[in-house]
Amino acid sequence: MKNIVNVTRRQFIKIAGMAAGATLYTWNFTKMSFAAANDYIMQRQESVYVQDTKMKFRRSQDNPSVKALYAKYLHEPNSHMAHQLLHTEYTDRSPLLMVLKAKGMKLKV
Amino acid sequence: MRKIENVQTSMNAPSWGEYENAFFVQVDQTKCEGCGECESQCPTGAIQCIDGDDGPRTVVNPAACVNCGQCLINCPYGAIYEGVSFVEEIFSALKDPDKVVVSMPAPAVRYGLAEAFGHPTGTYSGGKMFAALKKLGFDHIWDNQWTADVTIMEEGSELLGRLTGKVKKPLPQFTSCCPGWIKFVETFYPELIPNLSTCKSPVGMLGTLCKTYGAEIIHTEPKKIYTVSIMPCIAKKFEGLRPEIADSGYRDIDATITTRELAYMIKKAGIDFNSLPDVEPDTELGESTGAATIFGCSGGVMEAALRFAYEAVSGQALESVDIKAVRSRNGVKEATIPVPKFGDLNVCVVSGLFNTIPILEEIKKGKSRYHFIEVMTCPGGCVNGGGQPLLPDVREASLFKHIVARINRRFNMRKAV
Repeated sequence: MKNIVNVTRRQFIKIAGMAAGATLYTWNFTKMSFAAANDYIMQRQESVYVQDTKMKFRRSQDNPSVKALYAKYLHEPNSHMAHQLLHTEYTDRSPLLMVLKAKGMKLKV
Repeated sequence: MRKIENVQTSMNAPSWGEYENAFFVQVDQTKCEGCGECESQCPTGAIQCIDGDDGPRTVVNPAACVNCGQCLINCPYGAIYEGVSFVEEIFSALKDPDKVVVSMPAPAVRYGLAEAFGHPTGTYSGGKMFAALKKLGFDHIWDNQWTADVTIMEEGSELLGRLTGKVKKPLPQFTSCCPGWIKFVETFYPELIPNLSTCKSPVGMLGTLCKTYGAEIIHTEPKKIYTVSIMPCIAKKFEGLRPEIADSGYRDIDATITTRELAYMIKKAGIDFNSLPDVEPDTELGESTGAATIFGCSGGVMEAALRFAYEAVSGQALESVDIKAVRSRNGVKEATIPVPKFGDLNVCVVSGLFNTIPILEEIKKGKSRYHFIEVMTCPGGCVNGGGQPLLPDVREASLFKHIVARINRRFNMRKAV
């Protein structure tokens, strides 16, 4: 009975380990290919581009309600009024970061 | 704490301007298993171990966090919670007869919302979304896609100004729609702030226009109008609290919720979403084009801007409005678009903030050949935003990665001994 599979204990552990590794690798590989075929982010993106082709107008400058906004209210893109209402300024937030770095916090950037 | 579409959410609604110290996402220490998936997803390194490099993670300081929520949607244990929610405030505003509540849903919301009601991933549900907003009691159904079109007019014109030298600002111009990206530049690359388009994001524009142009159209005092920004995004909550978003003379964005929170509100109000009819938004501040709906994808803002800029520069119509060269699933995509009367327009589309770093370093050295760069924080763009319904395979996939990581860690520990 003992010699049906003629391997030493050490060899058995090696073979079992390799088999387990191969199984894990295959499982992972199958899962990856499944995920690639079933790419959820891609599905959402594709839905967006399908909807784009169904719209009456495809270009922003053709939107009648946008034309009305400029005709009645803002006059033209980047006008003084447009700048007042639709543009902004940004804040340098690096001082807060410097405080963190001074405390020894390690970041990726 | 409340469970909103499988995400623990704190009902903390900070007052306007109180955003610098707020944790928009944080780790529940009692649930964290220390697998490190969040740390690998985080573009800045804000989420990490408090001691050593093993054990529970935490968002150490909000100053380093761009609030994108990629950690949250990728956590295999549901251990990360949202720290800010305006859901209760909106429910009371909807009941208040003195408030005129208006909706501002982002393009990507309508490609994620239906998933919370059992539909397949990516199902378009724009019509039902507007119907649901009406049923919830919104007084005017205005749409953020309308200002996505306005953004193209403003940002496209700004780009033309920079290209011709009329606008005294440097090239390349960066897009400015993504709030995670804006905070990233402000914090980590402040020297490149001049490269950011000065345009507000579409919802920043709509908030202002609701209380100025919109108020005139509906003959209502601006102070009565309550604007609700509905986003696939957690970082938009930070944007809504910015004190400078007040060009109407009032607070432009009164409340911000995610796609998940909208789904929660629809369910809580007892609305049968699937049997709703398809409804259109109110025309004046709601009509939109294909260029607006693609804002939700990485490459979408670029394509929309090119549909405008190409014709504005060359005076010629595009052969086809489909500019597939700039559509991007993930990472970096660059393209050169020959524009008559200008020459070659070099553009670049990036999603995943980590991918911007080599490009930004090049710009700092003055070596960049690009004219226009679109950046979105979330891989693939807003459709994969931190505020979208959780994707069905994400938790499982991360769990698998976690098992492999655990084996590796054990192996390494043994080697060390």
